[in-house]
Amino acid sequence: MKILLIEDEVEILRTVKEFLEGESFLVETAQTFDAALEKTLTYRYDCILLDIMLPGGNGLDILTAMAELSIRQPVLILSAKDSVEDKVLGLEIGADDYLAKPFHLSELLARIKSIIRRHAQQGDRYIYYKNAMLDPDSRELSVSGTNVPLNRKEYDLLYYFMSRPNKLLEKTVLAEAVWGDHVDQADNLDFIYSQIKNLRKKLKEAGAEMDLQAVYGVGYKLV
Amino acid sequence: MAVSVKNYTNRFLVIAILAIMAVWALLFYAVIMDEVYDNIDDGLKNQKILILREAYVNPDIIRNSTEFGINQFRILPAEGEEFTDENHFSKEFIYMPYDEEDEPYRVLRTGFYGKDGEPYTLEIRTSTVEEDDFLINLAISLTVLYFVIVISIMIINHYVLKKAWKPFHQILRNLGKYRFGDVRSFEVVPTQVKEFDELNERIRQMIHRNEEVFDSQKRFIENASHELQTPLAITTGKLDILLEDEDLTENQLIKLSEAKQSLLRMANLNKSLLMLSRIENHQYTDVHQVNFNALLQELMRDLEDIIEHREIYLDYQEEGQFCFSCNRELAFVLLSNLIRNAIKYNIKGGKIYIDVHPHTIKISNTSATDGLNPDHIFERFHKGVQDSQSNGLGLSIVRSILENYPQLSLTYAFVDGLHEFRLVQK
Repeated sequence: MKILLIEDEVEILRTVKEFLEGESFLVETAQTFDAALEKTLTYRYDCILLDIMLPGGNGLDILTAMAELSIRQPVLILSAKDSVEDKVLGLEIGADDYLAKPFHLSELLARIKSIIRRHAQQGDRYIYYKNAMLDPDSRELSVSGTNVPLNRKEYDLLYYFMSRPNKLLEKTVLAEAVWGDHVDQADNLDFIYSQIKNLRKKLKEAGAEMDLQAVYGVGYKLV
Repeated sequence: MAVSVKNYTNRFLVIAILAIMAVWALLFYAVIMDEVYDNIDDGLKNQKILILREAYVNPDIIRNSTEFGINQFRILPAEGEEFTDENHFSKEFIYMPYDEEDEPYRVLRTGFYGKDGEPYTLEIRTSTVEEDDFLINLAISLTVLYFVIVISIMIINHYVLKKAWKPFHQILRNLGKYRFGDVRSFEVVPTQVKEFDELNERIRQMIHRNEEVFDSQKRFIENASHELQTPLAITTGKLDILLEDEDLTENQLIKLSEAKQSLLRMANLNKSLLMLSRIENHQYTDVHQVNFNALLQELMRDLEDIIEHREIYLDYQEEGQFCFSCNRELAFVLLSNLIRNAIKYNIKGGKIYIDVHPHTIKISNTSATDGLNPDHIFERFHKGVQDSQSNGLGLSIVRSILENYPQLSLTYAFVDGLHEFRLVQK
């Protein structure tokens, strides 16, 4: 999987690159508008991470240039501006998703994977782990071919876990994913705990080979 | 006590006119009397010349005129030492049969030598003005004049000043309508009066200066929040990578996770501040007809699991469609903040009631706290008692959204142990 990371902040660039390489992506980078434009128009990537504010130009212009040349590549906009117009405009011009800085790297990964899946061939649209399969379109889980009913939040949580098996996911990240904001409310963490308890029970009853493992007091891991 | 400018000027005019007229009356009286005596004296002198000529031509007249007759003069032989040929005027009171009382007379006394060489004294008299009557008449007419002038001035003042001050009152009314942050909410009043024109201009300049300061503060908050995003993104990213390290001890992992949690709180606060800035800068321009019922249902679907988890009973009643033309995202944030609050500050096993009418949405909930102070709950960083984790911006964002839509209003009340927010569309 090849990813182009367009970002002018060196530290963000290094962090995201290191993280994505850890997730076994091949990461190319561009730090200026011109370099970014050249790479997007010349090469093909599985996903392009695009910062809007770049030295030498606006990231949205890269999207426009791609649209003019009918080059269709999956694009995820990363922006510190988090402004509605940029978001709306970016999605209109052809971006697939929009993520405001600062973001969790696990959230970034989930978004990248979901974008790649949407652009993939039919069979690759599902997420597999051991004997479980998640269908993002119908939001359904099946274990060994049997459908396991999940409520909305249980599905959201499992989606997160299956995007990053064997990696630690913090409780606060999970809470934010299902609740939206005000992450560190004790009540919400309690809610996450009970959802995960239910989820584990359902997985066990369905005979799934995977399990959710608590990592100290910090978070959970899908194993 | 403050009085209207009309009455204020009237008070001075009444006194000033009185003083001016008094001084004027004295001068007028002196001038008129002087002129009257001058005229009478001239007449008497002329008569003297005529009599003297006649006395030369016809000396009999001297003998026949020892008493005042119809011609109102007499000629008496003069004693030696009294004789003088100078004109001597005096005022005397002499009985007048017509008025049946003494009336003022002007008398000319002089001396002359007759044709026979003897000295005679000539006295000529004539009726003159009655000064006391004149004075009374003058006083009466001046008093009448005074009142006529004062009343006229008051009436003219009343109408003219009312008209002249009209722009001023309009300016006052327009100032009342002015809302901070909206330059156009103060309308300049067109006027012919230079002072009011200047007032208009000064107010406009003042508002402009204030708005500039306000704008630069807003920009400062927005820029500061923007600038914070990148370092926050770098730090959380680095912590994320560090948290993946398998060699970390439990203790280290917990500390890192706690550090990240604090950082996330900062990031959330920053996001809320940015959103506030953007709402206040009217950056949500995309306006559609939004069905609030649909938004509420979407929100409830989104939050049903957590509502269920907290064992909250949710009662949703729809009596009609609440539709309003606004930005969809803002409408969503507005309702989301209200409902999230209703969940967040609820008690386990509590209740939330949502009633939708065509022009009203009522959201009420049970809570561990008593009624809140409606004057403070919409303020930035205002926090309830039990609330150490919230950033205190949720309801400020709600208020900022409402300020963008003056047709919407939100009221808070504590009714029958329920916190009730009522969103009304005018």
